[in-house]
Amino acid sequence: MKRRNFIQKSTAATAFLTLGGLSLQSFASKNTKHITILHTNDVHSHIDPFPITDSRYPNMGGVARRATLVEAIRKENPNTLLLDAGDIFQGTPYFNFYGGELEFKLMSMLKYDAATIGNHDFDNGIDGLFAQLPHAQFDFLSANYDFKNTVLNSHIKPYKIFVKDGIKIGVFGLGIELQGLVDPKMYKETLYLDPLEIAQDMSRILKEDEYCDLVICLSHLGYHYKTEKISDLELASKTKNIDLIIGGHTHTFLPKPTVTKNSVGENVLVNQVGCFGLNLGRIDFYFDNDKNLASKGKSIIV
Amino acid sequence: MKKFIISFIIFSALFSCKSQLPQLVKIEGKQTTVNETIASNKTIENTIKPYREKVEKEMSTVISYTPINLYRNDGNLESSLGNLMADLSYERANLVFNSRTGKNIDFAMFNYGGIRAGISKGNITNESAFNLMPFENSLVVVELTSEKIMELVNYLISENVAHPLSKQFNLTVTEKGSDLKINNAALDTSKTYFVLTSDYLQTGGDNMNFFKDPVNIYLLDYKVRNAIIDYFKATDTIKVSLDGRFRNEKTLKN
Repeated sequence: MKRRNFIQKSTAATAFLTLGGLSLQSFASKNTKHITILHTNDVHSHIDPFPITDSRYPNMGGVARRATLVEAIRKENPNTLLLDAGDIFQGTPYFNFYGGELEFKLMSMLKYDAATIGNHDFDNGIDGLFAQLPHAQFDFLSANYDFKNTVLNSHIKPYKIFVKDGIKIGVFGLGIELQGLVDPKMYKETLYLDPLEIAQDMSRILKEDEYCDLVICLSHLGYHYKTEKISDLELASKTKNIDLIIGGHTHTFLPKPTVTKNSVGENVLVNQVGCFGLNLGRIDFYFDNDKNLASKGKSIIV
Repeated sequence: MKKFIISFIIFSALFSCKSQLPQLVKIEGKQTTVNETIASNKTIENTIKPYREKVEKEMSTVISYTPINLYRNDGNLESSLGNLMADLSYERANLVFNSRTGKNIDFAMFNYGGIRAGISKGNITNESAFNLMPFENSLVVVELTSEKIMELVNYLISENVAHPLSKQFNLTVTEKGSDLKINNAALDTSKTYFVLTSDYLQTGGDNMNFFKDPVNIYLLDYKVRNAIIDYFKATDTIKVSLDGRFRNEKTLKN
C-alpha cells in the first residue's frame, strides 16, 4: 500500500514535467527503481524447521520455507539480492555428517548472491571450508581476512558489484577477529586486518572509484558490545558512504532495523535477523531520477 | 530500455545540467518470520530428503546401554552424568596424552552448564551423544601450579554446583574448611598438575579463569563429543555411581 502511494507521488512529479509540452509518459514508469535486499545470518546448519516440541522456536525456520518466501519476493521484484552474513556452518548433525555440503547446495538453489565468512565457518578448518566451495554457486566476500598464504587464496573476493536495473550495488564482507575465538590450527595463516580501516577503504572504493549507487557491508563483527570491541554500530558511526550494514555473530533479534548516523551525520541502516533461519530480513531501496523529488531527501520507513 | 534512454536524454536536456544520477529517495525495512504459514518448496524438500534419512538412520544407531537414567542433577555436588562425562573424558584423553607425553593426566574438570541433556534408561544412540554435547568443544590438558589448583578449589566451593569432576579428584567441604585429595594425596605445592578440560573452559568460559594462563597447554585435537561416542561404542553397559568425590559435610550435619 505504501509503495503504491509512493508511485502515485512520483507520477505526479512527472506530470509536472509534462507541462513543458513533451510527453514523458514512457519515462514515468522508468524513473523509479526498486532494489530489494534479502538477508539471513547465523543459520548454523538449521536446514529443517525446529521440532513442534521445541521449547523456544516450535515449528519455526526451515530452508524449504525460506525458498518459497524468497521465490515470491523475487517474482514481485526481480531486482533482488539475497545475502548471508556468515556462520552458515555448525549447529545440527547435517554439518557434522556432511561438512556443509548441503548448506551450500541449498543456498545455491535459493540463488544466494553472496555471503561473508563467520568464525564457525572455520569449524572444519580452512581446508574444510575450501573443500565445500565447489558446492557454493555464490561468492564469498571478505575484505579484512587476508587469505594469501592459505588454500582460500584467490577464492574469496573483498567485494562484488551487482548491477540490478542499472543500479550499481557494491557489497563487501567483514569478518570478526579469529584469535581467541577459533583455534589457530583451524584458520592457519589467515590474517585479520582492522575492519574499520578496511571498511573506510572499501566504502571509498565502491562509492568514489566504482560509482556505486548503494554500498552494503556484509559483516560478521557482531551488532554491539559493551567493550571497545569493534561492532556494526561502532563501524556505522565511524565510516561514511555505507548505506546498509547486514550483521551477524551476536544472534541479535531486532524489533526493526536500526537507523543510526555515520561519521558525516548521514543515516545508515544496521540490521540483523537473529539466527537459525527463523527470520528473513528485507530492506527495499527506492531510487528516483527526479531531481525535485530527490532534493527532498530520503525517507526511511522501518 | 531504448525508450528509457531516449527519455533520459530528453530529461537531461530539459534540465540542461549534468546528467541526473538515480537518487535514493526511500528505504523500507521489514522482517518476515519463517513459520508453518509458509509452504515448503518441493524441490528443496526433495533435495534435503536423502540427506535427512541418512542423518536420522545414523543418529538412531544404538552404541551403548544404560540401566539407569543419567542426569546432571541427581546428586548434590556431583551427578551420575557429570561423573560419567568426566571419567570417560579422562579415560579417553589420557590414552592420547600419555602416548604423546609419557605423563598422566591428574584429573578432569568440566562445567555443569556444559551438560546439555540427560540420557534416559535404555539404549544410548549417537543422538544421545549429540544432545549431551552439541558443541564442537575439544579436549585440552593444562599444566597448573598448586596456586591455580587452589583457585580451582575455591571456585568449586563458592559456585556450590555439581561441576563434573573425575574420580581422581576428591574434595570435602567441612566445618573447618576443606579437604582436598588428588590421586589420594594432599596437594603438593612443589609440583604442577595436569588437568583435563575443554578449550571453551580453558579460554575463560564460565569464569574458570584459573585455566587461562597455564604453565603449559596441550591441545589433544579430540572433540569432547567424539570422546563420548568412542567411549559409548567401546562400553556395552554404562556403570556409574555417586561416590562423593565432591561433597559438603557441613550440609550433611545440619
